[in-house]
Amino acid sequence: MRIELKKFGEMLISRPAGREAYLAAKAYLLPKTKNEEIIIDFSGVEVLTPSWADEFITKLQEDFPGKVSFLNTENPSVKATLETLAELLKTGK
Amino acid sequence: MELAKRKEFQNTYQLITAFAGEFGNNSFDHNLGNWRDEPGVFFVYDSEKNFFVVADRGQGVRQTLRDIRPDLPNDAEAIRVAFTEIISGRSPEHRGNGLKFVRRAVKGNSTFRLFFYSGRGEYQIVESKDFDGLGEKDYKGTIAILFFS
Repeated sequence: MRIELKKFGEMLISRPAGREAYLAAKAYLLPKTKNEEIIIDFSGVEVLTPSWADEFITKLQEDFPGKVSFLNTENPSVKATLETLAELLKTGK
Repeated sequence: MELAKRKEFQNTYQLITAFAGEFGNNSFDHNLGNWRDEPGVFFVYDSEKNFFVVADRGQGVRQTLRDIRPDLPNDAEAIRVAFTEIISGRSPEHRGNGLKFVRRAVKGNSTFRLFFYSGRGEYQIVESKDFDGLGEKDYKGTIAILFFS
């Protein structure tokens, strides 16, 4: 399935907002089985911070290990945020 | 977003906004219910001189790290750790990446200059090089100043 992150807003900044977004996604959007591939589409997102992304994307990757990929990541804040999260993942923190 | 309309910031306004967002996030995340006196964040930007300021009257960086890093000898070291290590005063919550993100992105673009103060600690990134030290003033809380031209 494809998740268009812009549907959660163009400015994805605060941690509480990211947490709430993921809870809503879990309730209404995400597949109930862990086998399905999930594509996160960042088109239309103006600003993404690691705080928001940590509550949504990191949690998504934990709940659906190996099933999450990204699309349209050219936005500089999206790119930098994903690099920061990847570094965190590498260090195991 | 005013910056988004300016040609010279077409490729950086997203990061500039994200930086302000992360500093503001930290102010609230680490001081909610525990403000020194004035709650909230002070934010101002100048679209002619191209800078913004995010400041709070919170605990300050060293105090927020006291439980997990009681060994920090001074404010400068606390700030250096906050910007360079994956660590959070709200451990064991899964946090601690915001300032690393800021440091990495500011160092990656020499048009950005960052000045950060908490207690007597000062931290700067200028021309992609960082520096930390102790100043004479004792700031109650934190101040982040980012120049973006």
